Amino acid sequence: MKKKILVLILLALVLIGTSILTFGKKEPVDFSADVKPILNKHCITCHGGVKKNGGLSFLFENEAFAKAESGKSAIIRGDGEHSELVKRLISDDPELRMPYNAPKLNDDEIDILKRWIDEGAKWGEHWAYTTPQETEIPKPFSLLSIFGVKPKGVNNTIDFFVLDKMKEKKLSFADEADKALLLRRVYLDLIGIPPSLAEIQAFEADQRDDAYTRRVDSLLASQKYGEKWASWWLDMARYADTKGYEKDGSRTIWTYRDWVIKALNQDMPYDEFTIEQLAGDLLPEPTKDQLIATAFHRNTMNNDEGGTDSEEFRMAAVLDRLNTTYQVWLSTTFECVQCHSHTYDPFKFEEYYKSLAFFNNTRDEDTQGDHPKLRFYTAQDEKRIDSIKRWLSTTGNASLVKSTDLFLHTLEPKVHAHYSDQIVDGALYDTKWLGVRTGGSARLRAINLDNKQQFFMNFWTGAVGGKLEIHLDKPSGPILAVIDLPSTNGRQVIQAPILATPGVHDLYLVFKNPSVAHGQPICMIEWFAFRENFPHEKSLDNMNFQKTFLQLVNMQPEGVPIMIENPKDMHRKTNVFIRGNRLSLGAEVQPTVPASLNSFPKGAQRNRLGFAQWIVSKENPLTARTLVNRVWAQLFGRGLVEPLGDMGTQSIPPIHRELLDYLALDLMNTKKWSIKKLIREMVLSGTYKQSSSLNNSNFEKDPQNYYLARGPRFRLSAEQIRDQALAVSGLLSNKMYGPSVMPYQPDGVWMTVYSGESWVKSAGEDQYRRGIYTFLKRTSPYPSFVSFDASSREVCLVDRIRTNTPLQALATLNDPVYLEAAKHLGAIMEKEGNGNLRNGIRIGYKRAMLKDADEKKLKELEHLYQKALIDFNKKPDSAAKFLNEDLAKSNVKVLPSKAAYMLVANAVLNLDEFLTKS
Amino acid sequence: MKDLNKLIKEAQQFELQAVTRRHFLKDCVAGIGGIALGSLLTSCNGWGQSKSAEKLDLNALNPLVPKPPHFPGKAKSVIYLHMAGAPSQLELFDYKPALQKLHNQPCPESLLAGKKFAFIRGIPKMLGPQATFKQYGASGAWVSDHLPHFSKVVDEVSFLKAVHTDQFNHGPAQLFMHTGSARLGRPSIGSWVTYGLGSENSNLPGFVVLTSGGKTPDAGKSVWGSGFLPSVYQGVQCRSKGDPVLYIADPEGMGRDMKRDLIDAINNVNKTEYDTFKDPETLSRIAQYEMAYKMQVAVPEVMDINNEPAYIHELYGTEPGKESFANNCLLARKLVEQGVRFVQLFDWGWDSHGTNPADSIDLGFKNKCREIDRPMTALIMDLKQRGLLEETLVVWGGEFGRTPMQENRDNSDMPFLGRDHHTDAYTIWMAGGGVRNGISYGQTDDIGFAGVEGRSSVHDVHATMLHLLGFDHEKFTYDFQGRPFRLTDVEGELIQAII
Repeated sequence: MKKKILVLILLALVLIGTSILTFGKKEPVDFSADVKPILNKHCITCHGGVKKNGGLSFLFENEAFAKAESGKSAIIRGDGEHSELVKRLISDDPELRMPYNAPKLNDDEIDILKRWIDEGAKWGEHWAYTTPQETEIPKPFSLLSIFGVKPKGVNNTIDFFVLDKMKEKKLSFADEADKALLLRRVYLDLIGIPPSLAEIQAFEADQRDDAYTRRVDSLLASQKYGEKWASWWLDMARYADTKGYEKDGSRTIWTYRDWVIKALNQDMPYDEFTIEQLAGDLLPEPTKDQLIATAFHRNTMNNDEGGTDSEEFRMAAVLDRLNTTYQVWLSTTFECVQCHSHTYDPFKFEEYYKSLAFFNNTRDEDTQGDHPKLRFYTAQDEKRIDSIKRWLSTTGNASLVKSTDLFLHTLEPKVHAHYSDQIVDGALYDTKWLGVRTGGSARLRAINLDNKQQFFMNFWTGAVGGKLEIHLDKPSGPILAVIDLPSTNGRQVIQAPILATPGVHDLYLVFKNPSVAHGQPICMIEWFAFRENFPHEKSLDNMNFQKTFLQLVNMQPEGVPIMIENPKDMHRKTNVFIRGNRLSLGAEVQPTVPASLNSFPKGAQRNRLGFAQWIVSKENPLTARTLVNRVWAQLFGRGLVEPLGDMGTQSIPPIHRELLDYLALDLMNTKKWSIKKLIREMVLSGTYKQSSSLNNSNFEKDPQNYYLARGPRFRLSAEQIRDQALAVSGLLSNKMYGPSVMPYQPDGVWMTVYSGESWVKSAGEDQYRRGIYTFLKRTSPYPSFVSFDASSREVCLVDRIRTNTPLQALATLNDPVYLEAAKHLGAIMEKEGNGNLRNGIRIGYKRAMLKDADEKKLKELEHLYQKALIDFNKKPDSAAKFLNEDLAKSNVKVLPSKAAYMLVANAVLNLDEFLTKS
Repeated sequence: MKDLNKLIKEAQQFELQAVTRRHFLKDCVAGIGGIALGSLLTSCNGWGQSKSAEKLDLNALNPLVPKPPHFPGKAKSVIYLHMAGAPSQLELFDYKPALQKLHNQPCPESLLAGKKFAFIRGIPKMLGPQATFKQYGASGAWVSDHLPHFSKVVDEVSFLKAVHTDQFNHGPAQLFMHTGSARLGRPSIGSWVTYGLGSENSNLPGFVVLTSGGKTPDAGKSVWGSGFLPSVYQGVQCRSKGDPVLYIADPEGMGRDMKRDLIDAINNVNKTEYDTFKDPETLSRIAQYEMAYKMQVAVPEVMDINNEPAYIHELYGTEPGKESFANNCLLARKLVEQGVRFVQLFDWGWDSHGTNPADSIDLGFKNKCREIDRPMTALIMDLKQRGLLEETLVVWGGEFGRTPMQENRDNSDMPFLGRDHHTDAYTIWMAGGGVRNGISYGQTDDIGFAGVEGRSSVHDVHATMLHLLGFDHEKFTYDFQGRPFRLTDVEGELIQAII
């Protein structure tokens, strides 16, 4: 007691001391905290990134102090009274007074602006654009701390920061959550499914100090951890099993989903995780996994609709990659800068295109084949590839080994049919495939033929006797090759030598086959390729390896779309799009990062790899903060900075900025970018472990829980709700990885145009896989997931809004998946209750909620059972129907009770406490 | 229910009653962050708070509770008839005798310069109107003989003859037409309207989608998606086959009484949970389960047209049990009659390229016209006779127009007559909901290639629709990722001539 008093006296003295020092003296105005919000609110719409009325903008320092159209500067440093900015705010003339046609600023706002100018109008940078600041951990002074006693609720550093802010509201930590609730919370958060009863009991009985920590560590080591956290990442990666847009055909890209699960489970450091996804293909000698990782940006949509311009949708995909990258890693709304400088944040219009230049040089071109794909050969075929490479390396031509490996694994670089032009008597069929009629021709523009003497073409035709002549520089130019076109059985790649003709040339392809009916194309072509000769021409080895090579090229192994950079001679220039319109080109730009952020890493290449290194540089002010914020939101339901999609001048000033910065620095420096360690620290905090009850005196002081004086409490995600129902009813499959599955879905949900694809119910345990494995068709996602706010994955989503709607109730009440789960849970209740209704219900409730039901709840559920039993006894056929069983084959005596238990289980699976993490 | 109301009263002690975290965060970001744009941010006070405390009831927990717009609108609800695939304006409303004279002549190259088409390559031939036209009604509107019924109601209608878009593929053009953006991620107009106005009937979804023609629209379900708005505002597809709304039917073997018992048990247990944790979200859950229960009756009821009188079936040409545009028109009337805010119809099969009989301008197209002529006419007449037309805005149109040239896909002749996609000119008509009667606004050139006066953009159409509903489209915003978004982006002007 005495010690406490002493502490209080000391504290009081400190407080008095500081207030004497500051009394009567106003704090200097801070640009970011005080001035910028006013400018953003009242001025920047007309004087900012979009409009610069009167030639004045307040977006950048040099613009704000430059001479406006009037010839004067709006701000005279040190002289608020005579600065036009202030004069205009207080003018009596409505034509002059700003904001124009809008209410006058209030006196406080005007005073802040005036004082700011008086104090020298010091421009400042927003905190989000400067690196995280080291702050001292705000440990409250207490003599007890000398003895190692921490204040109530404090478990680790996070809590000191939280407690420090709580003081502002005279709040204190809530009690720790009930053990069972806490274990359920942390299971749902870390692995997405609840603990079993046995796990709860063991935890409750475990009296060791580190009982909870042990659970956390084993959950982080569980394979299920990756399955849970992958759905968070896949929303941002806009991962789906179809290509999107009108035709929305299937896309086989689940190996990327599996890559994410594995990378999370291995706790791949976030910097590596980032580099591999953004630029794995540009790493030296990339592994298969590093190439699969680049599918992150092949999750962009692909438009197969007839008559679409592939270049338009290639560019749409590239823009999406840029916008998504800035959003996912930097919480920046960069898409705003596509048409004009950012309205609020320090990004200039041209900077958008300078960043775009990093992304504008990949081989994908919105082709129906989703090229390029990484081809997965069998081990045996990989051996054949190795033998070719070994033979090639004996010649000492390393670049040929490399290009051969690349071509066999990706069929790149190739020239797509849609690249052809000057088509005479032919067309680009469906704007996709080149078809030329007899005597007609097409041009391939500016093909680099240095060292290229082998011509490859992927085509198909039913006609025999076709010939293709390749002419140099003009349709009647010298013939480089005459190639016989056999009739094919489906698509086929042919190879033919062409005359050595170094240099860059236009090639004219002339097609002849008089036997093909008038008006019909001779063949359809998907792509062309020009390659080097294999060595030792005319040798037996050459012939054999050439043959193996062509056989391998002609295989159609499974694959996954990946990123492949353009070779130098196919390099694309990037220009500014005037007003964001890709058809109206401005100046050419070079790949550069925005000036307001960290500088480009020294020595890094000016490509996607360098860009990825720039993102994960410790100097980048946004990357670590963004990750911390997003992970925090997953656990606590809301970020430390809101909204999650925008960390910049428009975000709500965060209460816990010091905590954010501490966690961000610690993540980079101590935790070495380990996501698991970050999560671990958060869930071990006292802040996380608090009870989430709103039923206490803290509630009124902070109804929205901004100060974190209670634990997180919110509705589970779409996937968690389904996984949990399957888990507690014993149906959940543990099978991991592989192609996406199709659980039951009502008929007629897929009615997509021009698509022969349909929803075919998966067999066996694939019905009961975790939600992460459910097939996701973008134009028609799995309906009950959509009701629970899951993403259609057409665009990057960083924050699922949680809604509460009647359609959700209908799904969990009536969707056959939940009914089946209820049937199984009901059966468990009946069996384990051993003929005692109350016991049965108690067991079923506890299995779902992991706590004991109180008397009121038991009575309600008993009552429900009894009413239903009477009803089902009267109508055993209804019981059979409800149970989805054949009346004739069932024991009529047991049906009514079984059905009544199922109904009780149906109720249990719909309770608020079941659907909520509390 | 008594208990529930008591509980809800108790909830009033909360400063932020009924304003769940999501509303607070999502709708008030602007308020807190320092920018205040859009008067809709009055909803910042929460749907619960803007009402007096005594009135707080189940509705307060419903995000679809009716809300006032910026100013009193003439239209209270919308029925949007979208002909997916894009019908030819040149065979319906945009009469071009000069085009007939040019029939089969090669298209002048000047017309093609700098233009991009989906399928036309090289030099196509002009294709004269494949229909005969007459003027009808006091307004003298031109209508083709494909629409004999519709010609009788032209005086109720205003035509926009020179609408243009910038998308010539179905998917992006439909998205643009319905979300104001050709890229995904934006809310549909139905979502915007439902977000802004709520809905008059809490037992039915506020925004209902009905499809016919055997397919959903090319752009997929995003054309009625809620984009960045909360998913509660997305369109709910009501189907003619299977459950009208997914999972609305009780499981087999379960009667209504048993469902009532089930809901009561769930809600009563939830009430005890509420007593422990005092989470307003639990109250919201209770309210949603009540609504779901009512919706299970209300939706099948409103979707059942069997009990409509014979003269109504005769008027619309409806056949109960079928999936048809006619049935959907009748359903649309029933839905707005019951207070549904926005009814979106999609009729698929209007893409008349001429590759086969069904999609040819001289064969399949006529059949499609026959399928819609009577029902859409009936819809206007029926709404009128019920006094609903004045407050119901009916909009008809496609996602773009068709070329005055005959399609020559892949640079060769087509087996049937067809027209390619065309962005520069198409017709949309509107009726009711404060739209002036019998106006024809905008004009295309002599061959219907491009608008020459009174051109309207997609944003103009949206701005005008919102205006009729009582919204200033420039102030009707939603904050997402730090900035206010509008349906009309940074464009859109009111089409004054028709309002």
